[in-house]
Amino acid sequence: MASIVRPAMLRQTCLATASKRTFSTKLSSFPAINKPAASVLSRPVVRSAFVRDALPGAIRVAAFHASGRQPILPPLPQVINGTANDAAPVPPANPSHGSYHWTFERLISAGLIPLTIAPFAAGSLNPTMDAILCATILIHSHIGFESIVIDYIPTKRLPKTRVLFWWGLRLATVVVGVGLYEFETNDVGVTEAIKRIWHA
Amino acid sequence: MAARLTTRAFTAVRPALRSPMGIRSMATVVHPKSPSQTSTVEEPAASPDAKIKTFHIYRWNPDEPSSKPRMQTYTLDLNKTGPMVLDALIRIKNEVDPTLTFRRSCREGICGSCAMNIDGVNTLACLCRIPNDTKQETKIYPLPHTYVVKDIVPDLTQFYKQYKSIKPYLQHSAPAPDGKEYLQSKEDRKKLDGLYECILCACCSTSCPSYWWNSEEYLGPAVLLQSYRWLADSRDEKKEERKAALDNSMSLYRCHTILNCSRTCPKGLNPGLAIAEIKKEMAF
Repeated sequence: MASIVRPAMLRQTCLATASKRTFSTKLSSFPAINKPAASVLSRPVVRSAFVRDALPGAIRVAAFHASGRQPILPPLPQVINGTANDAAPVPPANPSHGSYHWTFERLISAGLIPLTIAPFAAGSLNPTMDAILCATILIHSHIGFESIVIDYIPTKRLPKTRVLFWWGLRLATVVVGVGLYEFETNDVGVTEAIKRIWHA
Repeated sequence: MAARLTTRAFTAVRPALRSPMGIRSMATVVHPKSPSQTSTVEEPAASPDAKIKTFHIYRWNPDEPSSKPRMQTYTLDLNKTGPMVLDALIRIKNEVDPTLTFRRSCREGICGSCAMNIDGVNTLACLCRIPNDTKQETKIYPLPHTYVVKDIVPDLTQFYKQYKSIKPYLQHSAPAPDGKEYLQSKEDRKKLDGLYECILCACCSTSCPSYWWNSEEYLGPAVLLQSYRWLADSRDEKKEERKAALDNSMSLYRCHTILNCSRTCPKGLNPGLAIAEIKKEMAF
């Protein structure tokens, strides 16, 4: 993944996208904002005016590349907020998303170990223990998927996708919760089901 | 004194050397001899027991922004090269290709300038031995997931900005009791071992997948190690403020204990352990 993304990290990619436009448009039709980029790329424009049929070949070479031409979420050109000497902004303290969240997550993870071993060690299948195990696994997996959403769907770049996945995850957790509740109350329960599959 | 002497000597000589093109062109040869009149220095023939090693080095020139980055291949005789990768790079720059660009300063692993990705591992070129196996070709890239300034020079602006944001200095409200310095016990000093040695080469941060995806908000292992260096310091009085600055979902808790940081650290430090200690301190 990293090796695919790496070439796209370069500053030149922002200029390369601009250069696509310079191939298709005249230099004079650029708005004032694009002037600096256009002046940097004035040489390729002149060259393309002389060598017109060089362009299809370039496209063919690009299409031959094994890596995708449009990688997922390509990195944006470098942006430096303020000057290079300013410190990066410190976000406001929010323990419920920070330290409390982490402590809760660790307690759930640590609690899962005895809960998983207990039914096999004790040999008895208590429905209450079974229900607690199900609930803990559900919360554990919800927190895990939440981390994945935070990691891979940055709010700044994909705010709508983030919200979509956020509510999609909540919906999925509720559906799984209802399903487990039905399974626990109207069927044999998770531990018994695993036991039957094991002996099947 | 010496400077003034030099200036005087220089002004005395200058009229004799002055060319019609001005002072800036003094170093140029005005009437070049034809190649047949000059003596030619040829490279000595390769010795039969030469150990020729191939280096593939990432090249990208910002002066040609429309050309893609490429790998350039250099071959060196290891018998004439120093033992470390930095020696090879310096020899390439001196003798083969002066356009090759890289950062280096101390050449002994204390400045952190020559951090780069050598054979897939982030490390300092000056601490990385050239593998003796000449069949194996060495590949050198800039630090992964960094914006490249030129060739293997990465842009570490964001890294330094984040380092500044953790206030990496002693915060103390009252002046020292003896008016000179803040003292600490030997035990308290021992807690800083393994933390203060960090040279901020960015090898660990740029090896961390979490930092690759979220470098704007996640601080990364190197900066968190430094953060813990000040949290663990018995003389610092702003522990709660330091902890509050990390207490959000992004700054610290994007660490998922992948531990690439501890594996890659060229100084043998353990940023993963420092991050775990911060998490433990903040938990209860």
